[in-house]
Amino acid sequence: MTLIDSRLQETLDGERDPATLPAELRDAYARLVSAADLLRHPPAISVADRVMAEIRAVPPSAGRRVAGWLARPRAITLRLRPVWTLAVAAALTAVILLPGGQSVVPGAEEGIAQFVGHFPGARSVEVVGSFNDWRRGALSLSDEDHDGIWHGAVVLPTGQHEYMFVVDGERWVADPLAGRYVDDGFGVGGQNAMLVVRP
Amino acid sequence: MTKPAPRGSPLVVSDASSDTQVVARILGGDGEAFGIIIRRYEPGLLRYATRMLGSVDAAADAVAESLVRAYRHLAQCRDPEHLKSWLYRITGNRCRSHIGRRHTGDVSLDDAPPVPDPSDTWGALERGEQVALVERALAVLQPEKREAFVLKHVEGMSYEEMAEVTGARIPTLKMRVHRAREALLEALKELV
Amino acid sequence: MRLLLTLVLAAAPLTAQSVHARLEGRIPAAALPGIDSLIEQAAAENLPTEPLVQKALEGGAKGIPVPRLVNGVRHGLVHLRTARAIVSRTAPGQNAPDGDVAAVAAALARGLDPQLVERLLIGAPTPGEPPGPVLHAAADLVAHGFPADSTADLLRTAQQQGLHGARLLDVAVAASHELQREGGRTPAEALARVRAMIPNVPVAPTAYPRAVTRRVGRGS
Repeated sequence: MTLIDSRLQETLDGERDPATLPAELRDAYARLVSAADLLRHPPAISVADRVMAEIRAVPPSAGRRVAGWLARPRAITLRLRPVWTLAVAAALTAVILLPGGQSVVPGAEEGIAQFVGHFPGARSVEVVGSFNDWRRGALSLSDEDHDGIWHGAVVLPTGQHEYMFVVDGERWVADPLAGRYVDDGFGVGGQNAMLVVRP
Repeated sequence: MTKPAPRGSPLVVSDASSDTQVVARILGGDGEAFGIIIRRYEPGLLRYATRMLGSVDAAADAVAESLVRAYRHLAQCRDPEHLKSWLYRITGNRCRSHIGRRHTGDVSLDDAPPVPDPSDTWGALERGEQVALVERALAVLQPEKREAFVLKHVEGMSYEEMAEVTGARIPTLKMRVHRAREALLEALKELV
Repeated sequence: MRLLLTLVLAAAPLTAQSVHARLEGRIPAAALPGIDSLIEQAAAENLPTEPLVQKALEGGAKGIPVPRLVNGVRHGLVHLRTARAIVSRTAPGQNAPDGDVAAVAAALARGLDPQLVERLLIGAPTPGEPPGPVLHAAADLVAHGFPADSTADLLRTAQQQGLHGARLLDVAVAASHELQREGGRTPAEALARVRAMIPNVPVAPTAYPRAVTRRVGRGS
């Protein structure tokens, strides 16, 4: 990269009169000023209605908040797991403990991984990842209430694991709640979710 | 937009009111007054977020969520005279989180129009083609440099305002802007 | 020595056979020679091969076309080589444990700058501590927009004050929480608050069911 003459930098910082720039720097000055000018047109959209609708809404019940958050289209993924996922996870106990089934307690080098996803209308959701050799059919989530919230929990070795959800046997989705993602390395911007299991 | 002042708030605000007056009105209970804030800052925030994320749709989501968050936390805006910096900071955090999720930090060019024939001279290009070239050149900058250039030269902020938005020191910001200018000039040279 | 060499040579084809057996039927036949070759290269260079096997299985499961699948595995090999070079530089004269190399490769795959990785490994307060947690914590912080220098400083402070392993991940979670408080703090403000908490950074919230009924392994 070529360093720009300091006189040009000073002029662009407003510390020097452009009229004093030498001729050989004026083209670069004009080009950068023009570039900024071209970038200055705002997008022809507005989010005003959407924002005002949201702030006018009466604070909903906890259940509606859950549904509202989940139903928001194209939401920027929150960095934090929302509180509702903890509530769902707490309810997993009754679901996961099958009648007469032996419970599994994690060993010293193991931890529990929970998977939760909102896929309304889905017929099946499974988790495929490095912990099951990316094998299909090994770890299916369940949605007993048919409310579109699919969940499951398993014991995994501690450490990092990459995974994806496979919805209806064909749609690969990086877990929107994962918080960690890694380029899958196959060249078209695909990403895997990443989980770090703690002991 | 005017409205009778709610009980306890003596203000009647309009689009000509200062940020401090409008914030006081909103905190006094008139949520509708937030529309003034939206009208005032939405274009700049959308422009900033679009340059950061490379997608108008992603920018709309980021700005909408940032404005809702700002409304809900308005009482914690310590200095309403610096409301603009505070709004840009919230939006910047949102954008950086989105970029971080994308891992590469690169801007998606999904929404970018086709790049014109680079053998055309700059002056021969239509304005729309020039915009496309500059957007493409901006998109390949690293996120920190891209943000610094946008805040300085597109949003017209001072280095002091930029420091409030990003939390970076002014010398650091100057260096980022200087490097961004160099990178942009190089990228424009290659494209035209 | 000759006996040892014979045993090593005898083991190599067996390992290659077991890898091939894992891949056969899971990835396109046309990809097998290229991927076998890459895995053999890794083995010959004493690099861990499991990350490459996983990448091949992943590509096969996702239906990735053969050229990109092979490239993806090649990409993984490059990360492993870079990782081993970093680990060797930070612990010269010592064998680079496979786990450490794999952890560094994973951090590089998450976009962590090699210089930052090296800085985090050099002078770690507890020599021999597995690098995975500090690298993932760093990758989390950088992904949330915290500058590399500040990230390294914060994590070094945490380690010096006795935080290790998963507790370093709690530092990263705490920093991202602080970033979102009060409508939006600057990264510098968020880091300063977390630094003031160390070593009493809150444990990141998780809720486990009291028991689960499944343990997942590679064979399941």
